[in-house]
Amino acid sequence: MTYDLNVAHLYGDLMNTYGDVGNILALNYYAKQMDVKLHVKIVSLEEDFHAADYDLAFFGGGQDFEQTIVAKDIQTKKVELTKFIESDGPLLAICGGYQLLGHYYIGADGEKLPGIGALDHYTLKQDNHRFIGNIVIKNAETGETYHGFENHQGRTFIGQGERPLGNVISGKGNNGEDGTEGAIYKNVYCSYFHGPILTRNGDIAKHLLVAALKRKFPDEDFSQQEALPIPATF
Amino acid sequence: MSLRSGVATFAGRSSYWFLHTFLHGGSSLPGKITLKLDPQILRSLGAKYDVIVITGTNGKTLTTALTVSVLHEKYPSILTNPTGSNMEQGIVTTFLNAKRPKTGRPLAVLEVDEANVIKVTTYIQPKAFVFTNIFRDQMDRYGEIYTTYQKILDGVALAPKATIIANGDSPIFNSKQLPNPIQYYGFDDQPDRDFKAKPNTDGVLCPNCQHILHYHSLTYSNQGKYFCPNCGFERPELTYRLTKLGEQTPTSSQFDVDGHPFTIHVGGTYNIYNALAAYAVGRFLDVTPDQIAHAFTANERVFGRQEVIDVDGKQVTIILVKNPVGLDQVLHMISTDQHPFSFVGLLNANYADGIDTSWIWDGDFEQLAGLNIPTFITGGERYKDITFRLKVAGVPDDKHIVEPDLEKVVERIKTVPTQRVYVLATYTAMLQMRKILASKGYIKEGLGV
Repeated sequence: MTYDLNVAHLYGDLMNTYGDVGNILALNYYAKQMDVKLHVKIVSLEEDFHAADYDLAFFGGGQDFEQTIVAKDIQTKKVELTKFIESDGPLLAICGGYQLLGHYYIGADGEKLPGIGALDHYTLKQDNHRFIGNIVIKNAETGETYHGFENHQGRTFIGQGERPLGNVISGKGNNGEDGTEGAIYKNVYCSYFHGPILTRNGDIAKHLLVAALKRKFPDEDFSQQEALPIPATF
Repeated sequence: MSLRSGVATFAGRSSYWFLHTFLHGGSSLPGKITLKLDPQILRSLGAKYDVIVITGTNGKTLTTALTVSVLHEKYPSILTNPTGSNMEQGIVTTFLNAKRPKTGRPLAVLEVDEANVIKVTTYIQPKAFVFTNIFRDQMDRYGEIYTTYQKILDGVALAPKATIIANGDSPIFNSKQLPNPIQYYGFDDQPDRDFKAKPNTDGVLCPNCQHILHYHSLTYSNQGKYFCPNCGFERPELTYRLTKLGEQTPTSSQFDVDGHPFTIHVGGTYNIYNALAAYAVGRFLDVTPDQIAHAFTANERVFGRQEVIDVDGKQVTIILVKNPVGLDQVLHMISTDQHPFSFVGLLNANYADGIDTSWIWDGDFEQLAGLNIPTFITGGERYKDITFRLKVAGVPDDKHIVEPDLEKVVERIKTVPTQRVYVLATYTAMLQMRKILASKGYIKEGLGV
């Protein structure tokens, strides 16, 4: 393969519910077709994350208990993660990972747990209720339609500088109120979608990989990679 | 028995007789009627029995059946609930349906759904609980592993004198201090090493200090001889030890427990855990190892789920899959087949299957690509998901047949180049497949479990 990309799988041994690891598998699947070799490394508790070491990052969802542990540890990675995001590093964050990039979330026991505040959203919780079911959204800029399965108690409200990943066509989305789902900020894609998201929406995998390639190899031409056809898988 | 309980029992038994005689049914309705009349009915119904409650997310049914077989070696009269009747109403029906014990205290071995343990212990003090394991299972219904375990413990809290017989290889069963006497069973056949579970594994945080657990040895998922390098938390001393693992094939397993050799006519490491649990209960109730070995080999029908169906000369085995841990175990089991085979994956996403198909991505389908399988078929209502899963796992298109329609899947199976065919199917896909096979005369109608 011609191109190498280093991928950080943030807390991949703890934040791994609902098949979220499938996103890594799907990234790998499309990367191969783009002549790209991925080197995936799990960055977990008490391990350093250096922004300069990685070209792409993935942060999945976890069980409530695991997420509280990660919420504490991630504060030690806050500066470098923020640096990665601000320097246009491509990152996909799902469910709990999405919540932890924002200001705070309300845990299962009702306690308010801080995120890293790299993105301007916050997350409240529903009492004894979850948004569960198939969901379809449409991205206003690209016109792309995305399919997923949502399963979350959190209600997230996106903030300044964030655009939704899509507008809800069917399902609940971020909070069941404002018709938005997920968030985009710079090259960061956030969503509540399982399914997993990249297996059903190869276009997002392509966006992430192309962004990583352009950022790492600014002088190369990636028009061929950008033209990779993504057949429907769902 | 109070007058109210007496009336309720009579009503329930009558309805069972009516349903059973005239409608060939009656698994939970009699219990429902009886519970309506007397919500506390289990108190009087269960009072005459020594009750063993078997619970956990995976392996309840087979563990219960095996335990009954084992205990039959020593105890003539054992009450047990039929498959699928593991909620309160089904359990009440089971007691209603029982012949009234004449002498002594007969045993009742009950498979109980995790959330229904408390419905039993509110009225009955069991002699023992058996905890098989807790894996993530259709989380859209029950929640996370810690929540599931807490549901079980809420029930156990009402029976602090009952002995707990737990899978010692599962860290969660060592995470809470309980007043109950406790015995553990587990695998102890490997030399000690030091490593972590593979990354995509649930439940690997130390319950004491929340560091990642390490392992001296590991069977599958997060089960093994775990220890925490940070705080010293470790697997408890085992009362019942698997001391040697012998040959495993898709249809048999050989192993030693506490130095005694055993054979079970079913494959899969998870079934060895089920047998180990049944062994533990047997030893707890003074059944000898020789008697247990006899029970394991004499009762092949309890392994009924792996019947081989003859479809015009093809030997077709249909295996139910419902969660990633079970899936990985089934994939490992079929990989032990010495003969070439074809692979069929059928995926549905109805309520009984779990409406979220994401879990197939937690299963290690990647191992299929290395098994030299000549033909893959994917189908079912969610064939697109399972098809893409296999593509990503490295299954080449020229060996991969995509066929949503199960009738046609059956026709395709007849044309594969191998004699053996493994069909992995979710619950409703399995039922649909069996119905089609029955309509074509390959099997009799029914579940075959």
